Amino acid sequence: MNSSLERSRKIRTAGVYAFFIIGSVIMIFPFVWMFLTSFKTVEESMIVPPTILPAAWQSGSYNKATASLPFFALYKNTILMIFWRVVCAVLFSSMAGYAFAKLNFKGKNVLFSLVLIQMMLPSQIFITPQYQMLAKVGLTNSIFGLVFPGLVSAFGTFFLRQAYLGIPNEIAEAAYLDGCNQWQTFVKVMAPLTKASMAALAVFTAVFAYGDLMWPLIVNTDLNMMTLSSGLATLRGQFSTDFPTMMAGSLLAMIPMVVLYLFFQKQFIEGVAMTGGK
Amino acid sequence: MAGNAKSGKLAKSESMWAYLMVAPTVIGLLVLNIYPFLDTIKLSFSKTRPFGLYELRGVENFVQMFGSPEFWRANWNTLYFCILTVPLGILLALVVAVMLNTKIKGRTFFRAVFFLPMVVAPAAVAMVWKWIFNTEYGIINTLLAHKINWITDPNIVMITCAIVAIWSAIGYDAVLLLSGLQNISKSYYEAASLDGATKLQQFFHITLPMVSPTLFVVLIMRLMSSIKVYDLIYMMIEEANPALTSAQSLMYLFYRESYVSGNRGLGSAVVIWTVAVIGLVTVVQFWGQKKWVNYEV
Amino acid sequence: MKKLKKALFLLGVSALAALAGGCQKGSADGKTHLTFQIWDVNQRDGMQAVCDAYTAKHPDVVIEVQVTSWNEYWTKLEATAISNQMPDIFWMHTNEILKYADYGKIADLTDLYDAEDPEFYQKNFSEVSLSNIQGSDGRYYGVPKDKDTVGLVYNKEMFDAAGVAYPNESWTWDDLCDASAKIYAATGKYGYMAYGDDQLGYWNFVYQNGGHILKEDNITGGFDEPATIDAMRFYIDLQKNDWCPNQNYFAETSPGTAFFSEQGAMFLEGNWNILSEMQNYPNMIGKWDVAVLPKCPNPTAGDGRATISNGLCYATSATGKNLELVKEVLRFFGSEEGQRIQGESGAAIPAYIGLEDTWVKVFDQFDYKLNVGCFTDMFEYSVQSVNNKYRPTWKTQVSENLLKIYSGQITFDEGMQIFQDAINKAAEDD
Repeated sequence: MNSSLERSRKIRTAGVYAFFIIGSVIMIFPFVWMFLTSFKTVEESMIVPPTILPAAWQSGSYNKATASLPFFALYKNTILMIFWRVVCAVLFSSMAGYAFAKLNFKGKNVLFSLVLIQMMLPSQIFITPQYQMLAKVGLTNSIFGLVFPGLVSAFGTFFLRQAYLGIPNEIAEAAYLDGCNQWQTFVKVMAPLTKASMAALAVFTAVFAYGDLMWPLIVNTDLNMMTLSSGLATLRGQFSTDFPTMMAGSLLAMIPMVVLYLFFQKQFIEGVAMTGGK
Repeated sequence: MAGNAKSGKLAKSESMWAYLMVAPTVIGLLVLNIYPFLDTIKLSFSKTRPFGLYELRGVENFVQMFGSPEFWRANWNTLYFCILTVPLGILLALVVAVMLNTKIKGRTFFRAVFFLPMVVAPAAVAMVWKWIFNTEYGIINTLLAHKINWITDPNIVMITCAIVAIWSAIGYDAVLLLSGLQNISKSYYEAASLDGATKLQQFFHITLPMVSPTLFVVLIMRLMSSIKVYDLIYMMIEEANPALTSAQSLMYLFYRESYVSGNRGLGSAVVIWTVAVIGLVTVVQFWGQKKWVNYEV
Repeated sequence: MKKLKKALFLLGVSALAALAGGCQKGSADGKTHLTFQIWDVNQRDGMQAVCDAYTAKHPDVVIEVQVTSWNEYWTKLEATAISNQMPDIFWMHTNEILKYADYGKIADLTDLYDAEDPEFYQKNFSEVSLSNIQGSDGRYYGVPKDKDTVGLVYNKEMFDAAGVAYPNESWTWDDLCDASAKIYAATGKYGYMAYGDDQLGYWNFVYQNGGHILKEDNITGGFDEPATIDAMRFYIDLQKNDWCPNQNYFAETSPGTAFFSEQGAMFLEGNWNILSEMQNYPNMIGKWDVAVLPKCPNPTAGDGRATISNGLCYATSATGKNLELVKEVLRFFGSEEGQRIQGESGAAIPAYIGLEDTWVKVFDQFDYKLNVGCFTDMFEYSVQSVNNKYRPTWKTQVSENLLKIYSGQITFDEGMQIFQDAINKAAEDD
C-alpha cells in the first residue's frame, strides 16, 4: 500500500521533470542559438546546412554592436524609463484597484468601464496624439517623454482590482474597527496583502516597457535618448543581413532585464511568505 | 456589504477617498487613451488627408470596409490566431505556473528558463525564429530533413506565428498566474491533505477556484491582445511574402491602410470594428465569469 | 464639451509635467542649435562631416545629426509636421516629397541660389535629380543630395565554374538567361535571382523595353502598353526557370543574403549598398564584381538600355523659426564643397554633376578593385524612379497583386488589368 503510493509519487515527480526538461529545451534553444551565432562570421551564419558551433569563436560582432550603439546611454534610459513606469503603474493601479474593488462610490461602473475600454484599444492609435500632447508642452526628448504613455496602467488597475477582490472583506472591516481610516486601511493592511500581485505587475510593466519599440523612436529623436529595444531597431537598419551583430546586440540588450529578473525573483518568494498566513 | 451598516457621513468619506484614489488613473486614461480614441472614431467617419486633415463624410469608410474581401479575410485570420494561441497558451502557462509553485528541485532554474523570452527585445525574437524556421537553412527543417515552408505556405504560416506567440507569452501569463497561486493560503492544502484529498482533487477543488480571479484576468488580457495582434506578425511576415493575405490580422490591415496606403479613415474604421469585437467578447466573458470565477465576498 | 476636454487635458498635462520636473535642455552656450534628421545610420558620419565643414566656418551654429530608422521616420516626420515641430533640416524621399510639398509643409527652395546664380540648379544637377525635388507645381522643394543607379552584381567563381564569360556592356536579357542556365547546370547554384521588386527588379526591364509604369502625363498607368506587358511577362516568367528561386524563397531570403551566402550568381543591387557589402563580407572579397544592367535585345522603343535612378534631397520646414539660417546651411549642402565632402565620405553618389568620381574613389581604399564605375556610367541612360502623388495608394495594390500572380492566384493578364486600374483609380478617387 505504502510502496504503491511511493511509486505513484515517483512517477509523478518523473513526469514533472520530463515536462520541465523538454519545456526548458524548447524555451532555451533560441537563446543558445543566438549566443552561438553571435560568435560566428556573417558568412558562417548563413551556411546551408547550418553548423552548430562557430568554426572560430570571434568577438568581432560585439565590437561592432558596441561601436554602433551607445549602450551605456541606452541602459540608463531604459532603466529610468522602466523605473518610473513601474512606480507609476504600481502606485496608481493599487490605489484605483483598491477603490474599484472595495469602496462604494457613485459612477464606479462608468469609471471602471474606462479602464476596460482602454484595454480594448490598440496602442497604435495613441502614438500620434500622445506625441502631439508632449510636443505642445515641449517635453519630447526627455525621460519623461519615454515614461508618458505608461503613467497610468489600465491593465494594472484591472489586475490589482482582481487581487483585492480575492481578499476577504472582514480583514478591511477589522482594520476599520481598529480606527484606521480608508487610506490607512489601504496602505497598512490591504496593500501589503497584494505584494505578490504588485511584484507580478512590476515585472509585467517592466517587460512591456522594455519591449516598447515604436514610442521611444517617435518621441525621442536621438540615439542617445533611445531605449534598448528601439536602439536595436536602428541596429537592424544598419546590419540587416549581419545576423551575428544583431544577435550580439540583442544579447547585450538583455543584460538589464536579466538583472531586474534576478532582483524580482526574491520578491516572488517573499510574496509567498507574506500572504501565507491568512 | 459593509456599507449598509455605516452612517451617511462614513459613506460620504468613503466615496471621497474612493474618488481621490481613482483620480490619477481616471484622469490619465482620459487624457492618454480616451481622447485619442474619440479622435479615431471621428476619423473613421471622415475622408482623411495627410497631416491630420479630414472631412466628415458619414459611413463610407465602413461601407468600403465591409465590402472588402481583404477585411473579411483579416477577421478570419485573427479568429484563427486566437483559436490557435489562447486556449493552448493559457493551459500551458497554468501548467507551468502550478508546477513552478511546487517544491521541486531546480525550481529557480526552471522558473528563469520559462521567463527568459520576456527579456528579449521583440525584434530579436522574430529574427531568431524566422531564422530557425527558414526553409533553406533553418535548424527545424534540417532536423526534420524536410523542406516545409513554415513562413511562406499560406496554410502553415499562422501555425508558425502561433508557436512563436505562445513561446513569447508563456512567461507573461505564468508570472501572473503564479502570483495568483502564491496568494492562496497553504492552510487550505493542509486541511485537504488531512482529509485525504489527492493532488488532482486538490487542484480542481482548491487551486483552480482560488486562482480563478487571476485566470480570468489572464484570459481577458490574452484574448484582447490576441485580437489586437500586430507586432509579431509584422515582424515575421514581410510585405514581399506571398502568404501575407493568409496572415494579415485586423491590426496589420489597420497598419497597412493607415501608414502604407495613407488611408487613415479606412484604417480607423478597422480599429473601431476591432474594438467593437473585443468589447463584445469582453462583455460575454464578464457575463460568463459568474459561472466559474470564484470571488470571496 | 470641447472646453471640458481642453481643461482636462491641461490639468492632466500640467500635473504630469510637475511630477516629472523640468526636463528641457537649454542652449546656454549662446549658439544656435539646429537638428538634422536622417534615416540611414551608415551615412551618419558622412552627414556629420558635411555639417562640421559648415560649422567650422560658422562657429555660432551647432548642427546635430539624428538618426531614426526608415520605418519610423515617416510616422514621426508627419507627427512633427502636424504639431509644427519639424527638425530644422531633414532628408526627403521621392516617395513622400509630393505629399509634403503639396500640403505646404516643406519650404519652397526654388529661389535658394538666386543671389549667386539663378541657373545654379540647372547647371549643376541633372534633369532626373531636379524632377526628384519638384512638387506637383513644378517648383523645387529640396536641395538635391545624391543620386543612385541599379547595377548587376555577379559571382565570378560561379561564372568561371560554368565557363561563361563575365557580364559586359554588350550583354542582353538572352545572355542573362543563358548564363543562368549554364551556371545552374554546372554548379547547382541559382543564376539570376529575379526578385519581385520594383526599383531593384521589373521597373528596369519595363523601361529597357520602351514601356512605362506611368505614361507621360505621370497620372495614367502604362500597364496597357504592349511594351510594358511584354517586359513584365518576361520578368515574372523568370521565376519559372529552375535556375531562379521562386517568390517563397525570396520572402525568407533576400537576393542579397542569398548572393553573399553563395547560393546564387546574380542579382540587381543599388549602388548605395555596395560599400557596406564590401565591408561586411570579407570572405567574399575577390569573388564578386558589378556590371551595367543587361539590355533588352529587341526593344519596342529606344536602344534597350535603362536603369532606375532615384535621389534624396535635403528639405526644411516651411514654417521653421530658423528658416533664414537653415537656408544658408542648405545652400552650403548643395554647393560643390558640401557635395564633395558627402561623396568622399562614401555614403552616396553626390547629385552635383562632375562629382560622381568622388564616390568611385572611395573604393580605392580596398585592395580588391570592384568595377564600381559602371554605376556612374549608367547615369547616361538613367530613368527617374517612378512616382506620382497617388503612389502610396496604388503601390500597395500593385505589390499585393504581383504576389498573387507569382503564386498563381490570379492570371498574368488579370494582374496587368488590376495594376492598370489601381493606378488610374487612385488618381480618380482623389
